[in-house]
Amino acid sequence: MKDYILLLPVLLPMLGAFAAYLVGRVSKTAKDYMADAAGLAEFILCATLLAYAASGRELSLAVPGICGRGIFFRLDGFRAIYAGIAALMWMCTTVFSREYLGHYRNRNRYYLFTLLTCGATVGVFLSNDFFTAFIFFEIMSFTSYVMVVQDEKPGAMRAGETYIAVAVIGGMVMLMGLFLLENRLGTLNFDELHAAVESMADLSPLYLPGALILFGFGAKAGMFPLHIWLPKAHPVAPAPASALLSGILTKAGIFGVLALSARVFLHDSVWGNAILALGTVTMVLGAVLAVFSVDLKRTLACSSMSQIGFILVGVGMQGLLGPHNSLAVWGTGLHMINHSMLKLVLFLCAGVVYMNLHKLDLNGIRGWGRNKPFLSACFLMGVLGITGVPLWNGYVSKTLLHESIVEYIELVAESGAPTGIYHVVEWLFLISGGLTAAYMTKLYVAVFVEKPDKSFEDHKPYMNRQSALVIGIPALLLPMMGLLPSGIMARAARLMESFMDPSLPWRDAGEQPIRWFSLTNLRGAAISLAIGAAVYLLFVRQVLMRRDGNGRKVYVNLWPKWLDLETLLYRPILQNALPFCGALMCRVLDNLTDWLVSLLNHTLLRRKPIPPRRDEDYAPGDYVPHVHRSYTLQRISGSVSFSLLLFGLGFCAAMGYLIVILLTK
Amino acid sequence: MKALMCAAVLLPILSGAALPLFRFKKRLHREIYVETAVLLTSAVVLALLLRRPEGTLRIFRLTSTLEIALRLDGLAGVFAGLVAFLWPLASLYAFEYIKHEGGDDRFFACYTMTYGVTLGIAQSANLITLYLFYELLTLVTLPLVMHTGDRRSVRAGFKYLGYSIGGAACAFLGIMVLYACGDPALTFVYGGFISPDTPRRTLVLAAYLMTFFGFGVKAAVFPFHSWLPSAGVAPTPVTALLHAVAVVKAGAFAVMRVTFYCFGSAVLYGTWAQYAAMAFAAFTIVFGSSMALREQHLKRRLAYSTVSNLSYILFGVSLMTPAGLVGALSHMVYHGVMKITLFFCAGAIMYKTHREFVPELTGLGRYMPVTFTAFTVASAALVGIPLLPGFISKWNLATAALAEGGLFPVLGVAALLISAMLTAAYLFTPVVNAFFPPENRGRHGLEQAQDPNWLMKLPFFVLMAAMLALGVGSRGLLALLSRVAAGQL
Repeated sequence: MKDYILLLPVLLPMLGAFAAYLVGRVSKTAKDYMADAAGLAEFILCATLLAYAASGRELSLAVPGICGRGIFFRLDGFRAIYAGIAALMWMCTTVFSREYLGHYRNRNRYYLFTLLTCGATVGVFLSNDFFTAFIFFEIMSFTSYVMVVQDEKPGAMRAGETYIAVAVIGGMVMLMGLFLLENRLGTLNFDELHAAVESMADLSPLYLPGALILFGFGAKAGMFPLHIWLPKAHPVAPAPASALLSGILTKAGIFGVLALSARVFLHDSVWGNAILALGTVTMVLGAVLAVFSVDLKRTLACSSMSQIGFILVGVGMQGLLGPHNSLAVWGTGLHMINHSMLKLVLFLCAGVVYMNLHKLDLNGIRGWGRNKPFLSACFLMGVLGITGVPLWNGYVSKTLLHESIVEYIELVAESGAPTGIYHVVEWLFLISGGLTAAYMTKLYVAVFVEKPDKSFEDHKPYMNRQSALVIGIPALLLPMMGLLPSGIMARAARLMESFMDPSLPWRDAGEQPIRWFSLTNLRGAAISLAIGAAVYLLFVRQVLMRRDGNGRKVYVNLWPKWLDLETLLYRPILQNALPFCGALMCRVLDNLTDWLVSLLNHTLLRRKPIPPRRDEDYAPGDYVPHVHRSYTLQRISGSVSFSLLLFGLGFCAAMGYLIVILLTK
Repeated sequence: MKALMCAAVLLPILSGAALPLFRFKKRLHREIYVETAVLLTSAVVLALLLRRPEGTLRIFRLTSTLEIALRLDGLAGVFAGLVAFLWPLASLYAFEYIKHEGGDDRFFACYTMTYGVTLGIAQSANLITLYLFYELLTLVTLPLVMHTGDRRSVRAGFKYLGYSIGGAACAFLGIMVLYACGDPALTFVYGGFISPDTPRRTLVLAAYLMTFFGFGVKAAVFPFHSWLPSAGVAPTPVTALLHAVAVVKAGAFAVMRVTFYCFGSAVLYGTWAQYAAMAFAAFTIVFGSSMALREQHLKRRLAYSTVSNLSYILFGVSLMTPAGLVGALSHMVYHGVMKITLFFCAGAIMYKTHREFVPELTGLGRYMPVTFTAFTVASAALVGIPLLPGFISKWNLATAALAEGGLFPVLGVAALLISAMLTAAYLFTPVVNAFFPPENRGRHGLEQAQDPNWLMKLPFFVLMAAMLALGVGSRGLLALLSRVAAGQL
């Protein structure tokens, strides 16, 4: 019976959403409190569940009959952590929203859909089969659409269009994959999938469904080549919503990829290589785009894409390393947690900037943060965390991921196969880390270090206490996590590993504890930071900044247009080529039957028109119609009764003939 | 109890036919009369469903073997139940809507009579009874299609007549073969009455295709679909109830009867006739959705969407397995509820604002919140968003198809999903435009627009509640449908 508590984290925010909406129609203040209360209650609930799961216990729940097949939930370490992070993020952003959205229209709608998304997202993380995950994933996709288009500006609408198109297409492709997977394995339940796969001799029939499901989840995670929506949708949403989109909704996609990797393609090297390749491209592309961007939130969005790439590299490594994958598993899990927390802090800081200036481009907000030590410190925590500076949290997970690549190179070398390609991956990994440092430095220097062009009109205070609290506490957590890797990070990783690789917990009981700050580990970070410094000084300062008319250096937008797959490839295909062919075909086919009938009417079945009775026929007096006679005849011969008459005559003749024949026999 | 079956058919037909005799002076009196008749009929149907009479009610003999007879089995119960649930709601809606159209007596007479005829189709015990009611349905709905009386509606009416009569004639040829090769009484038996090792196999298969397409005309299967969008000129209650539920589902229902109860899946399974039917259904699914995307007139767009969705049902039938039939039946029920809601919304918009085209809906969401909420929910349901019913039927259809294996079923599943994407494209565009209008567009002239009165709103709420209930908790219904599909009811 106590298992039913698992429904609560899903239902509570959803009910809270409707309650807040109804309350909001009466009183705006009451609605704000209502939404905050819902966020807080959700957080307390999820924290309790996390404490429960941390003690090694699990819950699982099956509610048969919902949506035709029933839904399955399960609470283990990974899910508890992610439900907890989701709840934390929602609580912080909801509190922050009150100030941020203070002057917005449609706030009621915003809260309604944000809280609905919260319930759905937690639902995804708790789900224990692909069907349940799909249900909540779809709900999440559609409710979060409203978060993206909250502003209703043309840019937001266009980004929203892309977002929902990717969501719909991704969802349907994933559904096809699920159909095929269930058809081939007979189950979609996470607990049963592995056994079903074991019984198969050959995995090759599973690659097609796997790829289709990956398409759906990968689209939400922002994986190349389905990343197109991410750099557009994240910047246009209100900042608290961006934090959620970047920090947690992408992780729902990763959750699906992990489930697929750990339950269906566990330790499969083909799958691992595919994910690794996609992850590497995503990682590099996101970082490159972020370096070029001159918009605060857009840089952060591209950075999210890049970090998702890091995570995917870890997932790929899990598959490749097979039974030796504990480093990759830990790195992946921890980098997910780190990225969620980092993006929460960074996007909320960006939100503070936007809330005050209503601008996001670096030239416009330049130097605004100079005399704001609190905000500057919070942002700096995020910068140091995400660049992977030792003693901050990002260092831990990036090091683990890097070590896992190194470990695999050694393994490959032992087996005698060529290792070249994995060396390339390693260097791309380090370079992406360097680019991360470069673009984050660019942001930090632009907003908090450089002198402003003109002094800003400052409202004092620039944010209220609640907002400061929800930015400050998560920002404080970042160095704490980095300083106590064995205390916090390792324990979290231990909790998560059973989900990410079910064979792990009983495998490496006696393994050596990781030496976090050993020389080899520090070396990787040092290489990355050196690359980052070089890129920043030589490329960002020299190429991406030009002197304007007043002799002052400004950031120029050299955003590489040719990298935009959407305008160059997807939109033309979906909006021009396909509709043209489709419309042509449809138009022809739609009228096929009617045209056929019409054709027959004009050829084989042509009816001779009965000439209309003309007025002249009745002309009085001296006018003599000269065609009178032939006309009458024509009308008689064209009438039905005439036909019947002829038919009757023919019939009589035939009967007569028959009678004659019969009589003469 | 058996006599009640006859009552369910006769009550609406007689009360409809008698309606003009009363010469109602007041609109309210007519409304009360009609609603009472309709509710009474629905109550009779409900009573019948709760205590289902066993056996056949013979009404009269046509020849030594053929007879007109009624029987209420599981399949009939599903269709009758669906119709009985929707008819009273649609009548309420029609009372308000028809105020603008005029010709009330003729309209409600035909509208009520159609109810009886539809129930007749549902309860037919043999193919000849079905055929009789099927032809009657064409005739009794013709005045409804032509109701407006202008040139366009008369032409649409003739088109409808031509397609329907032609289809029925085509089906009749198939019935002749059934008569000759199978049972001369043409009584429905689950599993069919043609022996699987019949010597005239090719003839039987050809006859199946003739009946499939013949009855399929009413279910708007490609290439016999184009009457349905044309018939959209009829008043909205007609398009909503008849062209989304009663008439078109009667076509699909007849195909089910023919496939599972006359020819039998044992004869058809794995033959070229099955694959032909499946291919046409799958093609229509994608085709209908593409046409809907192209179409800018809201009601015609919905009509094309119906074309597509009816073929979901036909696709399920053409799988020729009980699982496929479950998918088909569930989609029949769910689509009925979803599509009638969409049409009601389209009608409410036309009624209040006289706007008919999709781009004209921009910005209306704020002014007609109830209507557009209903529209959004129904759209999401039709696309197949989980927690709403469309998802379940799609899931059932797809798993049933994939259980078959082979190329055609997989292509069919792909068609279902492509169609779902197209559905999202053609239904979410109006929704997004209505709720998130581009700035400074479509705002003026909307101030007077508002939700219609309770006669129209009540159906919205009931239908939304029905959709949510069906989407979340349809376990019982699905269990029932699978018993029906296995021939146990």
